Amino acid sequence: MAEFEAITSLEAEAAGKVAASGSIKELDDLDVEFLGRKGKVTLLLRSISEQPADQRPAFGGRVNLAKNNIAAMIVDRRESLGTGESKARLVAEAIDVTMPGRFYDVGRPHVLVETMAQIKRIFIGLGYEIVESPEIEEYRYNFEALNYPEEHPAMDEQMSFYITDKNLLRTQTTAVQKRIMDQRKPPLRICTLGKCFRYEAVDATHGHTFHQVDCFAVDEHITMADLKGTLAQFCHEMFGPDTRVRFRPDFFPFVEPGVEIAASIGGGRWLELGGAGMIHPNVLAACGIDSNKYSGFAFGLGIDRTPMIKHGIDDLRLFMENDLRFLRQF
Amino acid sequence: MRVPVEWISEYVDIQAPIDELADLLTMAGLEVEEIQAISPDDLARSGGVPDSRDARVMLTKVTPNRGDWLSMIGVAREIAANTGWKFKLPEPQVEGAGADVAGQIKISIADPDLCNRYVGMVIRGVQIKESPTWLKNRLVMAGMRPINNIVDITNYVMLELGQPLHAFDYDLVQGHEIIVRRAKEGEKITSIDQAERELRPDTLVIADAGRAVAIAGVMGGFESEVTHTTTNILLESANFDAVSIRRTSKVLGLVTESSYRFERGVDPEIAALAAPRAAELMAELAGGEIASGMVDVYPGKKEPKKIVVRPERVDALLGEHIDPAAAVSHLIALQIPAEFLDGKIVATAPSFRSDIAIEVDIIEEIARIHGYENILETLPSFPLQGKDSDAGLFVEELRQAMMAAGMQEVLTHSVVDPVSVELSGYGEKILPLKNPLSEDVSRMRPMLAPNLLQVITRNQAVGAKDISIFEIGKVYRRTDTGGIYEYRSAAGAMVGSQWASAWSINRDTLAADFFLTKGALIGALTRIGVKNITVEPAEHPLLHPTRSARVLVDGEEIGILGEASPEAREKLDLRGRPCVFEFDVEKLMGLVPVTVGYKQLPRFPAIHRHIGVVLKRDLPYVDVLGNIRQSGGEIIEGVELLDVYTGSQVGADEKSFTLSLVFRSPERTLTDDEVNGVLESVKTRLASTFEASFRG
Repeated sequence: MAEFEAITSLEAEAAGKVAASGSIKELDDLDVEFLGRKGKVTLLLRSISEQPADQRPAFGGRVNLAKNNIAAMIVDRRESLGTGESKARLVAEAIDVTMPGRFYDVGRPHVLVETMAQIKRIFIGLGYEIVESPEIEEYRYNFEALNYPEEHPAMDEQMSFYITDKNLLRTQTTAVQKRIMDQRKPPLRICTLGKCFRYEAVDATHGHTFHQVDCFAVDEHITMADLKGTLAQFCHEMFGPDTRVRFRPDFFPFVEPGVEIAASIGGGRWLELGGAGMIHPNVLAACGIDSNKYSGFAFGLGIDRTPMIKHGIDDLRLFMENDLRFLRQF
Repeated sequence: MRVPVEWISEYVDIQAPIDELADLLTMAGLEVEEIQAISPDDLARSGGVPDSRDARVMLTKVTPNRGDWLSMIGVAREIAANTGWKFKLPEPQVEGAGADVAGQIKISIADPDLCNRYVGMVIRGVQIKESPTWLKNRLVMAGMRPINNIVDITNYVMLELGQPLHAFDYDLVQGHEIIVRRAKEGEKITSIDQAERELRPDTLVIADAGRAVAIAGVMGGFESEVTHTTTNILLESANFDAVSIRRTSKVLGLVTESSYRFERGVDPEIAALAAPRAAELMAELAGGEIASGMVDVYPGKKEPKKIVVRPERVDALLGEHIDPAAAVSHLIALQIPAEFLDGKIVATAPSFRSDIAIEVDIIEEIARIHGYENILETLPSFPLQGKDSDAGLFVEELRQAMMAAGMQEVLTHSVVDPVSVELSGYGEKILPLKNPLSEDVSRMRPMLAPNLLQVITRNQAVGAKDISIFEIGKVYRRTDTGGIYEYRSAAGAMVGSQWASAWSINRDTLAADFFLTKGALIGALTRIGVKNITVEPAEHPLLHPTRSARVLVDGEEIGILGEASPEAREKLDLRGRPCVFEFDVEKLMGLVPVTVGYKQLPRFPAIHRHIGVVLKRDLPYVDVLGNIRQSGGEIIEGVELLDVYTGSQVGADEKSFTLSLVFRSPERTLTDDEVNGVLESVKTRLASTFEASFRG
């Protein structure tokens, strides 16, 4: 079996050389030395004719096995050498991922405008149609149509900026009511929101400009319970599911009964949201709506205090000063 | 109103701690804003004399419809209605000892439309002196200053019963005659504050035989006032028209305790109780003798109004069933007479409740006593589709696109200062306020851009360098025909660098200049589907004359774009060179295609060629672009500007554009020869049209 020993020693020689090789180039040379056309394994195979005839198949099988073994050794070694080489390359390419990112400042929404967008979404979800209504309003829509007698102390709470004798900056978004009800008949569920203006000196909690949302619903069978339920639903969406709504009698010429609405904001505190009530029959009548058949509710909520409470903002003036250090916090 | 606790205890038997009482009143609609404890020092400082009585005062906020809450008995009545505690009215004991009053004064009402009732009494032989401690203290705690016993008594009874009273010096009333009439043309009066006031002919006055002696319901006259020498009193307890008193008070700029109450409605019936009540106190505290009887001229007497309330209407409005018997008892608790008759509640509006006139007013009273906390929470049953307005939807999309273009949203005032609006150049179209708070808040903004520049100034002042902001909001202008109109506008402004925090990158690489601003604008507009945007040179008062443009969509002008003018930079104290844009949102809304118009993706490869073309420096890029597109024909897919060069390599009046041209056919793969041919004709055309030469 001397010939078979030659195969075994050739294998051992190849194994030693492959293991000692240090580069892909050396491996390529070993591949040629052992497995090439004139390689050692090939030459050994050609010596098959020198074997006794009965041993030739076994010899051939053994040499082929050796060939496969050596090829596998080279492949394995090639892989381990290659991985090492590319790893070194990757290490050299390392970056410091903790350095700051580079991008332009992303534009952010203004916190009050975003609050208005959120309020819109809530009322759209409750079946309200958002409508546009002018900020420069006519006296008749802002006051007359809302049942304000010409000389009444209720006007003291609505000190107005005038453009002409008949045109003023709306003091309340409620001015939308007659504009809509003159054009459209029940069932109605309408919402408008935006800037309102009152002739008031500016301080941390008051401004001459503020933001309001006004909703009204007119239909058969609209009740004060519907009003309370609608406001409760709004408060749950806006302030969280545990928020409760409180009604307190109040006076607004365009509603009867009239209430002030407050929402519980934790710690036994109440946030005054605005005024509400059942639309006064005089208001419906002025729009040609039969108040015996239809009833309606209306409410107007101040918007500015909502983000103040939510984010702990202590000065109303920050909203319109537009200091970027403030705006970029939201 | 200031309500001393000790005082109202006289009319209602209070059986709960005062903070509970305050909560109860607040929830009944009479808001108690604060409970003050008056210190002995404060009491003494205001003319009182500290004693052992309860010195707590409830500060109430009275709604404009509830004049009846402007008295101690009104507050006591509300407490009684909500608690069932016992209520009692003062019952003056007047022993008319002197001669009958009828022979001592004559009272006539010449203008009964403005005076419902006038009650007069005479008290003789009074001694003017200080009031006793208890009276002084009650007045001080209620916020009034003690003067002398007679004046104090009129104020005291006003606070107690809600009826403003006036005491004349009987001997200074000429002819002992009272005439209630409108002022005469040019008539003047010196009021007790010693101001001479000219009266308008619609002002109601109290006159004697010779002259006006009081401005009815607002203030008495100086010449007939009670002084330390007064011995005889003519006491007025009258009821005047609310609207007339309000007008007079506004015209004279004079708001008094009396006018405040008349404006909010005074019970006409209480006049005949208040007079004897005051007379009683004058006899007791000033030693006077009360003339028998009173003169009571009452042309405005009205029958109490009956109001029919349908129980089913109560239920329909409140959203739950209220038992009519319970409703009736709620009303009776409020001293509103009511009964349940033939299926209806019939209520009588009491004279002290001028706010109650129709069915819903009574329903409110029922609901108030029923308790709003007991109202259910339901939702309207008929479903309707909720939706945003078209403008709202568009604005929201635009807003998101502006933010995506790197701009921070801001919200600025609509009423602004004159300096910023004048920069807009709108001149006569600017709308000023008739009654501004101050010059700083006096004009309606005709544009947004000046506001944005002011935001930049304010932020630069606190150290900000890189600013990129936008606002969408209303602007207000006179129309060409002189009407008033508000437009929805959108504007952006930038200064500094867009690379605010980019290490190792030169900030100037992305300087917030004209082109960055233009890029942000076009980017945002394109994002919301606007097509066919063009920008061409145009001047605007706010902008730098050679760095400004108008923006058009489908050939229609929608707005402006440019660098702030040197004048604007100086007047608004701006650093750097801010750039702005502003456009009309409503106009744009009408120009955005409804559908996108999808284009198939290319199926054949593109071929790219670069050219360097040297041109006259003042030749607009857009002309070069048009020329190339025209001569290149259909296979020119795109032209991109890679670089613009001015300097020593070209002539002094020249510039060089490096352009990348993209060629592609939708039908086949182009050959090099074909593209080279087209490129040559493009060059030839540029050379012949613009005298262009080519580099590299």
